[in-house]
Order: sequence, then C-alpha cells, then structure tokens
Amino acid sequence: MSYTGPLFPNIAASSRSLTVGDYPGSSFRSQNGAEVRVQYGNRRVGTELTFSFDNITDANAALIHDHYNDCRGTLGVFGVDRASLTQQGNPGFHDGTTPLSTNNRFSAAPWGLRYRYAEPPQFTSIKPGRMSVTVKLTGVLDA
Amino acid sequence: MTYYSGKNGTLTYNGSSVAKVSNWSFSSSVDTLETTAISDSERSYVPGLRQATGSATIFYYDDAPKPLLERIIGTSAISESDILSLKLGWGSKYVQGNVIITSGELNCAVGEVMQATVQFQFTGAVTGVSL
Repeated sequence: MSYTGPLFPNIAASSRSLTVGDYPGSSFRSQNGAEVRVQYGNRRVGTELTFSFDNITDANAALIHDHYNDCRGTLGVFGVDRASLTQQGNPGFHDGTTPLSTNNRFSAAPWGLRYRYAEPPQFTSIKPGRMSVTVKLTGVLDA
Repeated sequence: MTYYSGKNGTLTYNGSSVAKVSNWSFSSSVDTLETTAISDSERSYVPGLRQATGSATIFYYDDAPKPLLERIIGTSAISESDILSLKLGWGSKYVQGNVIITSGELNCAVGEVMQATVQFQFTGAVTGVSL
C-alpha cells in the first residue's frame, strides 16, 4: 500500500491531456510471423494525465505546490474524484457523479486507479500575482 | 474648450527642448493574459504587462536631432546611461518617462529638408502624465 496524499486541489485547468494506458501483456511472434498476444491483467495501467494551469493566481499555484509537498513529491498517490479538476469540461466523457461510476474515465476509479506525480510540477512566474503551472501525473494501480 | 494642433507640440529630453520637431507620436498598450479554463465557453483574460512606445521626426536644422541620434548612432557601445528622460507635450499637457532610443533614421533627399526619425521604447511606467 503506497503512501496516500490528499486529493488534488480543485482548480480549473487551462488544458488537460489524457493518455490512456493499456492492459498488461506480452506478444510473441513465431518464425512464420504469426503473433500471439497474452494478457496478464484485467486492469489498465500506464495512464498519464497532463494539466496546464495558465496565469492562475499565486494562491492557487501555492495550493498545487503544497499538494505536491503533502504527497511527498512523486512518492504518494492520491485520488482524482468528482470534486477535482477532472469533472469539468467534458461531462459526456467524465460525468463525475459517483466516484465508482464507469463514466469517470479520467479517474478510472473502477479499476482502483490513483495518481501520483510523474515529475515535479513546473512553476513559471508571469507577472506579480500570476503564475503558470504544468503538472504531469501518472496512473498507479493501488488496490 | 481648446483644440490642440502641431503648433502646441513640444519634445523635451533630459529637461532640454528639442528644436524643429516635425511630429511625434505616443502609443501605450497592455498585454492580456488568458485565464480561460476548460469548463468555460467564453475566453477570459486578466491584464498583463503594459508598455509604451513612441516616435518623433525632427528637421535636421543645425544640431536639433543630434542629442537623440547620438544615443543610437555612434562608435561607442550603448549603455544604461543612454536612457533618456523624454517629455512629449501639447499645451500644458504632457506624457513623460524614461526611454531607450530603439532606432534612428536619417533621410536626405533632393528637394526635401533633411529629417531624422527616432523611435523609442519607454522603460518602466511613465513618470508623469497630464491628459
């Protein structure tokens, strides 16, 4: 069981990118070219979420910074539930109504997927009071 | 009520008046920083950084444009001492600030009075304004 940090702060992102993972498995190619694929698990892994928060206030940037710290950097895992940043913008893809709904495609809660920081977030000072932040998360099966 | 025209215009640098000014212009603009979120249907912005630029055309009468031109045309390196205090005036009104001369142009043509054109970039906020 990994260390669990607090939920990601509820800040609307400027852009969001999801790279869905794949089911673990291997493929074997015989000498005649035929391919056999073997699936090892029934839960998808390797999901990546990238957010950019453009020109947000210093206070919101501080929330992300402190969340990263509270998660002990890239160590801790955390959830992305309905109250977080994934509910916004694409309700047909991710409705966020119930945490375990199969329509929560960003959080993928039915598979026990949680996130951790793939790398330290990057903070860029824009002007006094405004910063831009880039956050990259990677999905972790933690159940 | 008073109209202003070119007759009322003045150009002053470091406290000294520049003679034979044909025209000057001043422009100020503000960058916008986009704050649109993925859940929004309308773009939103907050004010970003402000800047001001200007230009002036001066008849080459005696050494009238020399103090401005030698800030950019010369054999020595440009330094921070080349930042000028410039005042663009009309009547009792004015815009004043510190500027860097960013370009200088000399124009000499048959049948025309020789002119010099300089463009300048304000650095920092304007230090005085009366509109």
